[in-house]
Amino acid sequence: MRQDPLLRAWTWLMALCLASTLLAMAVEGGRPAGMLAIPGIAILVLAWLKARLILAAYLGLAAAPFWRRGFEIALAAYGLLLAALYLIPAVYGLG
Amino acid sequence: MSAPPQGLAAEPLEQLPGDLMMWVLIVSELLVFGAGLAAFLSVRLSDPAGFADAQDQLHRAAAGVNTLVLVTSGFFAARASRACLAGRPRQVRALLALAMALGGVFLLVKGLEYAEAIGAGLFLETHPFFTFYYLLTGFHAAHVLAGIVILSLVGWKASPQNLEVGTAFWHMVDLVWVILFPVIYLLR
Repeated sequence: MRQDPLLRAWTWLMALCLASTLLAMAVEGGRPAGMLAIPGIAILVLAWLKARLILAAYLGLAAAPFWRRGFEIALAAYGLLLAALYLIPAVYGLG
Repeated sequence: MSAPPQGLAAEPLEQLPGDLMMWVLIVSELLVFGAGLAAFLSVRLSDPAGFADAQDQLHRAAAGVNTLVLVTSGFFAARASRACLAGRPRQVRALLALAMALGGVFLLVKGLEYAEAIGAGLFLETHPFFTFYYLLTGFHAAHVLAGIVILSLVGWKASPQNLEVGTAFWHMVDLVWVILFPVIYLLR
């Protein structure tokens, strides 16, 4: 069972989901935007890892390296866009 | 898709698992939700404090539980696809039933969340945050509902190809949620 890639992916997905929720709840409110930026970026990285797992294990792209690489690059570029939009208020002291 | 001659690498299109049109649908759905989430973070630039205050009205823990529910549902759907390839129809139906039941749990929790938000006077026009919140999570919930219908259809007409296409739609719904959830509920 430990070698089953689907079960392994599900276990990782559960761990990553719990980690992102707990991280967000641990840093809830009352802190300056700059201090929230690091956990925010960590949460985006966790989301990227979860998306990679779903693409590879659930959607079967583990068996299609060309497409897996393409999706991962597009997803990473999109993650960078979200991270930039998220960080702008902290960097420029907005809000 | 036919296998390439021995010793030759498969053409990229031949590597793609499942039906090409399902992938076209998956990519187009990802683009729609991706644009919606980028627009959400762009509008947030005009009022980050207001967005943080609005986000505090949501139940992060309930949405986190819903994430676990949907990811587990995807696991059962992927298992059903494997069981179909192995020629185990009863197992296919049982696994699809579990996947659909968890999809139902997801919608139930989402419905309770909406009822609480509406009861607290939080509507589409209350704040731009809630406009995006209702539109993006509502559109996603509509996909969950459609996914449940699709899983029931492929369970009824179970074949490896039907299962692969139907469960790919379900995994797309999963994939959208694991990106949507942190952006709407967790990023402060």
